[in-house]
Amino acid sequence: MKNTYEKVKLSYNQVLLLIIVLRLILGLTYMPVVHVSKGNQDTWIILLLSIIYKIIFNFPLIYLSNKFNNFNLLEFADKIMGKFLGTIITMFYTIIFLLANILFVTIFVEVLDVALFPLTPTWFNTVLAFITCAYISYKGLNGLCRFGETVVPIIIGGTFFLVLLGVNNFDFSELLPILSDSSFKDLNLGAMNTSFRFADILILVMITPKLTNKKDLNKIFINSTIYSILMVTILIVATQITLGVEYTKHANFPFLIYTRTISIGEIYGFDSLYIGIWIMGNIMKISAYLYFSTIALEKLTRKNNQVFIIPVSIILIILTIFIKDREPILPIAGRLNAIIQILSIIAIIIVPSIMLIVYYFRRKRLRNT
Amino acid sequence: MKRKILTTILATIIFLTGCWDARELNELGISLVIGFDIEDDKVLITAEIINPVYSSEEAKGDQIQSVEYVQGIGNTILEASRDITLKFDRRLFISHNKVVIFGEEFAKRGLVKNIDQLLREREHRETAKVLIAKGAKAYEVMGISSGVEQIPANYIAEIVNNIKYNPKTGDVNFIQFLKHYYHEGRHPVAGVVEKKSKDEINKVGNDGSDKDYELTTLGMAVFKGDKLVGYLNGNDTKSVNFILNKIRGGIITFPTPSENQEAENLRDFSSTVIIENKTKRDVEIIDNKVILKAKINLKTSMGEIIGDVDVSNTENIKKMEDACSKAIEEGISLAVKRVQEEFKVDIFGFGVEFHKKYPDKWKEIRDDWDQIFSEAEFQINVNTKIIRTGLINTPLFKIKVK
Repeated sequence: MKNTYEKVKLSYNQVLLLIIVLRLILGLTYMPVVHVSKGNQDTWIILLLSIIYKIIFNFPLIYLSNKFNNFNLLEFADKIMGKFLGTIITMFYTIIFLLANILFVTIFVEVLDVALFPLTPTWFNTVLAFITCAYISYKGLNGLCRFGETVVPIIIGGTFFLVLLGVNNFDFSELLPILSDSSFKDLNLGAMNTSFRFADILILVMITPKLTNKKDLNKIFINSTIYSILMVTILIVATQITLGVEYTKHANFPFLIYTRTISIGEIYGFDSLYIGIWIMGNIMKISAYLYFSTIALEKLTRKNNQVFIIPVSIILIILTIFIKDREPILPIAGRLNAIIQILSIIAIIIVPSIMLIVYYFRRKRLRNT
Repeated sequence: MKRKILTTILATIIFLTGCWDARELNELGISLVIGFDIEDDKVLITAEIINPVYSSEEAKGDQIQSVEYVQGIGNTILEASRDITLKFDRRLFISHNKVVIFGEEFAKRGLVKNIDQLLREREHRETAKVLIAKGAKAYEVMGISSGVEQIPANYIAEIVNNIKYNPKTGDVNFIQFLKHYYHEGRHPVAGVVEKKSKDEINKVGNDGSDKDYELTTLGMAVFKGDKLVGYLNGNDTKSVNFILNKIRGGIITFPTPSENQEAENLRDFSSTVIIENKTKRDVEIIDNKVILKAKINLKTSMGEIIGDVDVSNTENIKKMEDACSKAIEEGISLAVKRVQEEFKVDIFGFGVEFHKKYPDKWKEIRDDWDQIFSEAEFQINVNTKIIRTGLINTPLFKIKVK
């Protein structure tokens, strides 16, 4: 069994597109930012502000990834924290990747159940999703990024095509008054909250050693942050000015409803175009997280990551069906948001900050090794 | 080769799950219009379903109706719709509904609270038009088709779409209704459908059947929150559409201005055809009093002149423009006054404008807005431009050179 991780070299464009789509899918699916309290018509400001917070909060990870650009997150955790703590950190991130995977698959299956296949059993949709994703993950990072190079332009192009088709329904006055119903503090708290939701920095720092030009890391980080948040902002604004701020909050899948309102004369049904591009994006997202879960397991067990793809998929299928068939995922937003937020804060800020502090004290010794 | 086959199977398999959810056309009862009523304190659903046999070759010459009507009753919309399955051999499929009609009693009980199921389930289209059966049950207005359309639902949908020719009707879909319902400082409106007895000339036979009736969408339903509180007449509806900036066409009829006093007394009328309209709503606080304002810019074309006016003369065109503006101003002022006095609810969205312009002040008065609105002064300014005069200049009865 050949290791698909070792010899991979990825270009700037491949990684940029991958990171953008991972974030864009969040906006295309359930737009968590519209539920940020007091955001209302100023949600777009919250999103734009979140760019700054995202850069600030992700600094420890990006800094360390720059310093150890020949190692991925789990490898430099080992270097900085030592073998024992490094293994614990690896275990923690393995759980994060697995949990993220469960979350994405359950949401994916929930949308499929609601919007496309209400009679198809959950297990069938879940198994299908995992067969596809397991195959992509099996092909490795190179395959995933090549798949992304083809698919992501279709996803981005298709999304903006849908936004353009709905222009006739836009009512920009929905966004007024600006900055009057929410205070600067509210918007900043919302922006901080939002910046935690984009956990895809973890994928980026896992990819760093595979970049053809490692100096591209900062450029990819900044550009992907700006591009993806701008794209999500456009989606959210289009949805809010079509459905209204309040109804957008009521909708579990706001952009899906937005696409259902599009018509050209007697032609309806543009939601099927949305579902098509959304499925492609989700397959990429689930595949990426599945792949990196197995890479984390490879690090823990020193066995080839491909060995884990099928067993991990089976466990995730069972867990997803177990969770999904017990209760709906999105309506329990409070619980879900709390879980995502706490995990993101630990994974993106707390653990990397501890590693950064330890690095600061051990930097001379680490430089010599 | 093996790998290619595997890839193809994996790529296509994702689209094959549809088989599980496949619903064959011959198993569905495709509904084009659906009505909701309250009967015996329960929800009564009436659906107009296309009869597929009607368009088949074998049916030609037979007396087969183009549509079938089915009804179901229950405590909720879902229960009522499943009740239909006990009497009708096909499952109701409502994705093609263009219009949803609510009986008056249903609308008085509150629309938003009771239509949860329609927006929760994916089958219903959010862009379907909302119509209220004026003074009637929804099922009483269904089934009437006095147009050329064979299918009554298409007939209703088309007369609602005719707002582009005549803005004396309300054209509101579910999303627009909900948006206005959620807005602070605005109450929603909806379209109206009413059953009327036909003029004698249009009656075929006189057997008291539906052939004796026609439908009209003249007017608009006014809501307080989500509860129906009354109706507007056609002229007021047109005025509301002006303020809501929903005028896409139609005509303005006004008394023809004339220098000749005798002609003026005859009250001749002229009509202009609306080409383009832009309305700007505004709110001002002057001396602690709220002033509601509307500014309308209208581009029209001369449609008909009855009276002694030569529109090849710029001065006369100006007179016609002023007369047209005056007629609109009077009509809108009357409509606003009627809404202020009769309904005491802001259906124009002046509250929304107030919120935008005075956000801090809005927080203090938001709960009393309807009261403030009903007592506020209204100012209107209409600017009409006649940009076309048609194929003739002076009225036909006038001899240009004697």
